[in-house]
Amino acid sequence: MADRPMSRKSKKNNSLTYINRMRSLMLIVYTAIVVTAIMLVSYITAEKTNRVFVQKVNSLTSSLSMQMKLNLEEYIDRMETIATLAFAEELAYTYDATDPDNDEYESINIEKTVTDKLYSLCIMDNFVDYGIVYGNGRTVGKISNGTSTLFGDGLYEELSSMIAGTKSDSIWFTGYGGNYKRIYYVKRVHEHAVLFISFYADELNEVFDNPETLADMSIYLVNQDYNILYAKSGEEVGESLPEDLLSRIENRDAASFMDNEYLVSVNKCNDWYVVCSIPTPLIMGEIRDMKKSIYLIALVAALLAMLACDYLTRQLVKPVRDMVADLDEKAMRDRLTGIFNKLTFEELATNSLANSLKSEKRVLLILDIDDFKQVNDTLGHAGGDRLLEHMGASLRKVFSDDDYLGRIGGDEFAVLMHSVAEYQGNISEYVEEKCSSLMEEFARNDIVRDEKCHVSISIGIAESPKHGKDFDTLYHNGDKALYKAKNSGKNQYCFYDASMEGSETK
Amino acid sequence: MKKKALAVFLALAMALLSACGNEQVIHEQTEQTKITLSWWGNDARNEYTLAAVKLFEEKYPGIKVKCSYTEWSGYEKRNQARMFSDTECDVMQINVGWLAQYSPDGKGYYDIEKLSDTFDLSNFDEDMLNCGRRNGILNAVPIAMNAETIYINKSIYDRYDLAVPKTWDDFFNAAKIMKKDGIYPLAGATKSIWLFCIAYVEQQKGKTFFNDKDEITFDEKDFEMMIDFYKRLVEESVIPKVEDFQRYQIDNGVYAGTVAWVSDAMNYFQAVIDEGSEVVVADYPVLGNVKSGTGWYEKPATMYAISEHTEHPKEAALLLDFMMNSAEWAELQGIEKGIPVSRSARDHLEKAGLMSGIQYEASRVMEQNEEIKPMNSHIEEEGLYQNFIDACDKVIYEKSTAEEAAKQLTELYRTII
Repeated sequence: MADRPMSRKSKKNNSLTYINRMRSLMLIVYTAIVVTAIMLVSYITAEKTNRVFVQKVNSLTSSLSMQMKLNLEEYIDRMETIATLAFAEELAYTYDATDPDNDEYESINIEKTVTDKLYSLCIMDNFVDYGIVYGNGRTVGKISNGTSTLFGDGLYEELSSMIAGTKSDSIWFTGYGGNYKRIYYVKRVHEHAVLFISFYADELNEVFDNPETLADMSIYLVNQDYNILYAKSGEEVGESLPEDLLSRIENRDAASFMDNEYLVSVNKCNDWYVVCSIPTPLIMGEIRDMKKSIYLIALVAALLAMLACDYLTRQLVKPVRDMVADLDEKAMRDRLTGIFNKLTFEELATNSLANSLKSEKRVLLILDIDDFKQVNDTLGHAGGDRLLEHMGASLRKVFSDDDYLGRIGGDEFAVLMHSVAEYQGNISEYVEEKCSSLMEEFARNDIVRDEKCHVSISIGIAESPKHGKDFDTLYHNGDKALYKAKNSGKNQYCFYDASMEGSETK
Repeated sequence: MKKKALAVFLALAMALLSACGNEQVIHEQTEQTKITLSWWGNDARNEYTLAAVKLFEEKYPGIKVKCSYTEWSGYEKRNQARMFSDTECDVMQINVGWLAQYSPDGKGYYDIEKLSDTFDLSNFDEDMLNCGRRNGILNAVPIAMNAETIYINKSIYDRYDLAVPKTWDDFFNAAKIMKKDGIYPLAGATKSIWLFCIAYVEQQKGKTFFNDKDEITFDEKDFEMMIDFYKRLVEESVIPKVEDFQRYQIDNGVYAGTVAWVSDAMNYFQAVIDEGSEVVVADYPVLGNVKSGTGWYEKPATMYAISEHTEHPKEAALLLDFMMNSAEWAELQGIEKGIPVSRSARDHLEKAGLMSGIQYEASRVMEQNEEIKPMNSHIEEEGLYQNFIDACDKVIYEKSTAEEAAKQLTELYRTII
């Protein structure tokens, strides 16, 4: 009994563990493939979308910037055209207030006439200044207090020096004396006179009116030194273009850039530059949200795929598991009696006893059908089989589900009674009662009652831990008790006692 | 069952795919009602008005205000062109004289009383509203009251041991002392000097320029006196010719005094005050026993009107109410146009501690003077003061005698009025 092969249960457990392991492996591999595939597709989709979005935004912003430049050019052209209209008035370019031969009264009247003419030319636009200043400081036309205060006595000299050396004898400027409120255009009229116009820089708000969808865009007009002449925000005027923008557009006339920080575009307009910028995170907010959504959907899809895989693999291994369980069940049971076979019974009984506490009581019954050979001889093997089936049925009927029932030989059976552990009364009486019941139940069979056969059952009884703590010892002692029962006339049961030591076994 | 579930799944997938393919992308643009606003003014006024308009647009995001602004010179002609072509701005700053010019029957501007559910008129006294009524119709609402005022740079006068002038002769006496240094005791733009001369003659003659029937009461002798007075002012270097008036010469200390509107005070003198000069509001100059203020006129500084042709009267009224009664606008505007007549605006300014400074002082002098009369708006007509200066120039440059010039002027005025 000591060299029992690897238990059936262990084999069964090993098989199931292997199946489970393979199922888990399948699940992991499948999930990994699916998640990787989904994530890869999602990543490629998101990145591709991102790239397309960036290109489109960059393109649209570049177009907007170009439109701003065109707006500015158109505005400047219009202002220059209106300024040039002054030359349509002959007196405006023929009169020279510095001529010493001028009659003072005539001069006053000419200046009034020219002033009226100039006023009428600029009447419908928001000009701050539209006039001519002469070398002697006299002015005609519309000259604002702001400009008079800003330039004081030096109006002619300052304006004249600005256009000196320019090809067209004209120039646009702002920021004189740190004042960026007005933008000036100056053009020489003749040797002793310059025409100048000005308008408030705020007029450019209309020129640089960006759509509400790009309300966060910063728009600057900067000069060749990249000093801000106009800012959409109204702030920063007079300051240098911020370094992070300057570094991106410096020395470029028309370009658009986009990186992780800024989307910047620049377009040259005459000697100035229109610079549009917007922080990239502001415009990429939507695409960022979209990417988050894509990855979230991918994650959910991966989870669903994992759950589906889990379900499918369960379904896949279920027949195998059932088959293994069925085979295992069949391997454990004696097919004739329906109770455990010898190997299973021994394994279960051994484990049960090994795992029992010292205080827990167990009783092992070793049973043998007396004169079973006569049945085979008289009724044939079919009769013997019927008797064995009856024996199995009797055992199942008398003993509880907690007790292990096993066929351990051709006509030999064993019962490990767990139910005694919970029995409060005298265990011997309890066992005796069970044995009597079994014998009565067994005797109810036709074969047993057949006088030709004379079959009965003998039972050897050993108690644990009193008669042994392990299965082998208990079996050995139970067998001795069975031997005693057989020798004492059969059809009876017999408890093991120490006096049987040295006696033979069955 | 499984087939049914598969069919449902496929149907849903198809529906989703087809929905994705045909999705219509719609972006709703914010629709704004565009109204226009026009005003005249200097840099400071333009800046705070633009800032206040931004606040209005933030408060009413459905309204976009397009601004049209310039300095005074030119605004009058632009306004004339717009009024006669029916293309005036929805809300406009107007001069009181334009009511008679563009709305003789009261129908030239929108009847603001029709908008009283939007524009709170309860902040205005009835006599103030009457300034803006034509033929019983409320055409305009005054912002503040205004009058020509004498500002004296006391620091310069002190340098010459001269007291702040009280009489006409004081100016001539000051000129005798300041002349050697090229300093004028007084200076002024054309219209200011025109009214200055009228005040002198009214005190001399004891009559007003206009009678109650809008008729000019001055005769040839009176105009001759006006011309002579102007000629004397120029020739004795009390003032520079109006053609030579340069605003920046106040900053340079060339003008020791200026006759200008109450509403010009900050614009003209804040710079010299900031540099340490003491500028005071002088009494209106007098002749003999005449009371100070005689011959001087007050008028609404400026007014706001709504176009008769506006397509958005409700939005225009919202803007008008914001400009006249709101704390935001009042605090940005301060007393740049004078002390507001709107009680609500005054309360906001008092709470904000903005009722102070040279402009406030000028307003107080005007308000406390009992001799100043309401101005007949015709007196500001360009044809009157420009022709007066032309006549004066003729006399100064000896192209005509004062008597001849006065006669021509009298005839000319008959055609104008």
